[in-house]
Amino acid sequence: MDRREFIKVCSVMAAAGLLYGCRKIPFVGKASSDESLSRAIPALKDFEDEVEKAMARGGKNLDLVKVPMPSILNASDADLQNRFGMAIDLDACNGCGKCIMACIVENNIPLVTEEEREKDRFMHWIKMRGDAPFMCAHCGDAPCEKVCPTGAANHTPDGLSAMMYKRCAGSRFCGANCPEKARKFNYNDAEELGLLRKFNAEVPVRGKGVMEKCSMCLQRLQNDRLRFKAEHPFNEWRGRNVKTACAEACPRNAIIFGNWLDPESPLVKAAKHRELFAPRSIAKFDPSVVYMRGRR
Amino acid sequence: MFRALFCIGLALLVPGLVAMGVSLCGGPVEWFTDTQTFWGVPISLFVFWIGLAHAGTLISAAFLVLNVKMDRRTALLAEMSTLCSLAVAVCMPLMHLGVIANFYMVAPFWDARGNISNVRSPLVWDFCCIAVYGVLSLLFFVSHFCMNPLKDDLPTVAVARAWIKKVRRPMAWILFPLVLWVHSVVSLDFASTFVPEWQGAFFPLYFIAGAIFSGLALVNFLLTFENYRVRVLEKLTLVCSWFMCAFWVWNFIINGNFCVSAFVFAGVLPQLLFVEWVRENRYACVSLWLSILLGMLLERVYLVSPTMETFGWIDLGLVAFGAGMFLVTFYGLRRLLQKGIEDDELLMGDVDTVGEALDSEFEAASRKYFLPLSTPEYRILRLPVLCGILVAILFSIWTFNANDQVNIELRLVNVFPLFGPIIALVAALILTSRALWTVSRKSVRWVVVSLLVAFAGACGAFYAGGSSVPEKASAETSSQLLDNVSVVNVVWDSRCATCHGIDGKFNKKFVREFYPVPQTLSLDRLDSIGEDSLVQVILQGRVNMNSYEGRISEGMARNLVMYMRILAERDSARASSAGEDEE
Repeated sequence: MDRREFIKVCSVMAAAGLLYGCRKIPFVGKASSDESLSRAIPALKDFEDEVEKAMARGGKNLDLVKVPMPSILNASDADLQNRFGMAIDLDACNGCGKCIMACIVENNIPLVTEEEREKDRFMHWIKMRGDAPFMCAHCGDAPCEKVCPTGAANHTPDGLSAMMYKRCAGSRFCGANCPEKARKFNYNDAEELGLLRKFNAEVPVRGKGVMEKCSMCLQRLQNDRLRFKAEHPFNEWRGRNVKTACAEACPRNAIIFGNWLDPESPLVKAAKHRELFAPRSIAKFDPSVVYMRGRR
Repeated sequence: MFRALFCIGLALLVPGLVAMGVSLCGGPVEWFTDTQTFWGVPISLFVFWIGLAHAGTLISAAFLVLNVKMDRRTALLAEMSTLCSLAVAVCMPLMHLGVIANFYMVAPFWDARGNISNVRSPLVWDFCCIAVYGVLSLLFFVSHFCMNPLKDDLPTVAVARAWIKKVRRPMAWILFPLVLWVHSVVSLDFASTFVPEWQGAFFPLYFIAGAIFSGLALVNFLLTFENYRVRVLEKLTLVCSWFMCAFWVWNFIINGNFCVSAFVFAGVLPQLLFVEWVRENRYACVSLWLSILLGMLLERVYLVSPTMETFGWIDLGLVAFGAGMFLVTFYGLRRLLQKGIEDDELLMGDVDTVGEALDSEFEAASRKYFLPLSTPEYRILRLPVLCGILVAILFSIWTFNANDQVNIELRLVNVFPLFGPIIALVAALILTSRALWTVSRKSVRWVVVSLLVAFAGACGAFYAGGSSVPEKASAETSSQLLDNVSVVNVVWDSRCATCHGIDGKFNKKFVREFYPVPQTLSLDRLDSIGEDSLVQVILQGRVNMNSYEGRISEGMARNLVMYMRILAERDSARASSAGEDEE
């Protein structure tokens, strides 16, 4: 074999290798909507089974420390009227896990594949940690937002740690910098693999390679805000009619959603005379989602 | 020998390309990612290769600056290894991304929708530093070959040499700090997070020492195949290994973690250089340099993903891809540039005399009297650097203004890491552009100009941004015209008022959350645009406004335009009555 031939063989092999690797690229563009209809859609039971499995795996117990009541965000453009948050009543919560299922149904959270399940990479936004639900705490001074290179993870003036899914490049830096690992990464295209059921048309389906996490049911807040603004154009909206899916689903009323800056809010009323706690690692970042226990 | 290495490279590259293809399509699920950090092999490989990429330019720039004599061949090989490993390194973070198509969003540049990357993220600093470092290393490398552009034309050669001589040493002065800066920034990716294994104030130092160490090992490795040894570099490698051992011990004391294999391969084995037989034996030397590289690779993997247990075949394929691509590009380039490297004028051992020549020139200059701001030193180096500082200041002012829409506080500290690359880029471009322009051939000039035009075009495309039409519009296909103002009112209040306000003046408070401020819909403006155009704007969208096609019927859009007019008339009536009251 002379040199010319050798190089030829090598380059053909390289090209073949690349083609083999790229065989998964759909050359005909996106699948049409007819196809997506015929794709397998998991039953509700599958989601319930997965929640059970996730709960059986359990998680590390939360290491809680006392925190003061959340107040106005420490940002130049903070909203002085609204800062949304939640308080989880540890005295009432019995760890039934109904909130996880409610969250899945509200936010179209997909199932994960068998391998992912073994690696404990569930997509659930809520995780049971020692009989207490844990979700993104929407830290006022969130470390995840600071490191996001594209600005996809950002903070709304009313205290939500928001995600622009279209802007996310999937560098997973936010996930690395979240001390409690509240962020979930879409390793797979759930729609393609038939792991997704669109329960709620209002919540967009997150594509492959995008980070996601608890949005504090942003869609419910936005809907209420739009409706309120149309009905009462000159009044200040305080989000009083909103409840997150998990708070709504809790049979023992252990998750309370509300506005930390609104004295009328059920959240402030419930948390006023309780001792508030947050996980030790994020207590210094001014979390909006806190735990309450005992009486003050 | 070189051909054998090239073939080894090819043999590694082919399976590497398969692994690359699989992981490009499959995404991060294909390779190992740490459960704690979500980061995996590509990032370790990136840090490893970027470390290798630092040594070459650092060696030749630092030696030039410090007046250490080094022959041109070593310098050329070192710089070439820099460029090749940079090319490998750039592939890795791209592959790491979940959505590769969005990589450009990391560049700190505005688009028409008012989005700008988060300048306080270390990844943005990384992106800029490495881009600038790549450009400047290329310039520095190219300047070698501009020394003898056309053999037969002696006057041109003399002119070219004079130009390049003037430029190379100041360029080295710019590159020297830049190299250290870039690697510090890479280390800040890790040091500025909350991952306990990644924290530590010594991180930049640790990373720089590691980078220099692995880079020196690579240069030594390459030189061994040239049948050639540079004692300074060997000594430096040894010193670096001690530094690394010290850092590992330090890390062990602080964090309690320790990578044993890295310590053995890169800490203990290099000490065999003290044995004369090992130093003199080529094969022993090659395996020694390889062991250092292996140790440093394991160390980087351990650092990025501490819970790493097993390498999957894709992970191994990516490692092979790196090594293969490096060997293929390096020895391919070497063959291409053989004439330049083994030039008859610049033989092996021919010491770089540029520094000396420049020194004598400066000595001559120092005896002359110059008006302030006209000394050659000022013209050549200080003025470009001052321009760079000016650009950096302008950039930070601009980002502070652009940041207005992002709800994240920005401080000077967050922009500061970008100062180094900006200053270096501007200074080096000003410094070299004239010299390279005079030296280069006409065809090269055309290529450069067309590249610049293409770059400007790319910036324009970036600014224009992508389409904002939702992929699956929820169609609302009623097309009847509604004359009832109250229905239009509700549509306006629910669809438009979030940005444009209930009263047609924009809703400043709400708008600031996601979008830039829209136009005020005054009567003059509505008249000048016209009804049909406004309907089109609603349906097709405009700069910052989303398209409402499929969500609002055309009839409704026309109704909305009429409603806008009503609002504007009401507003102008209110304004005129207020004016009358004042009168």
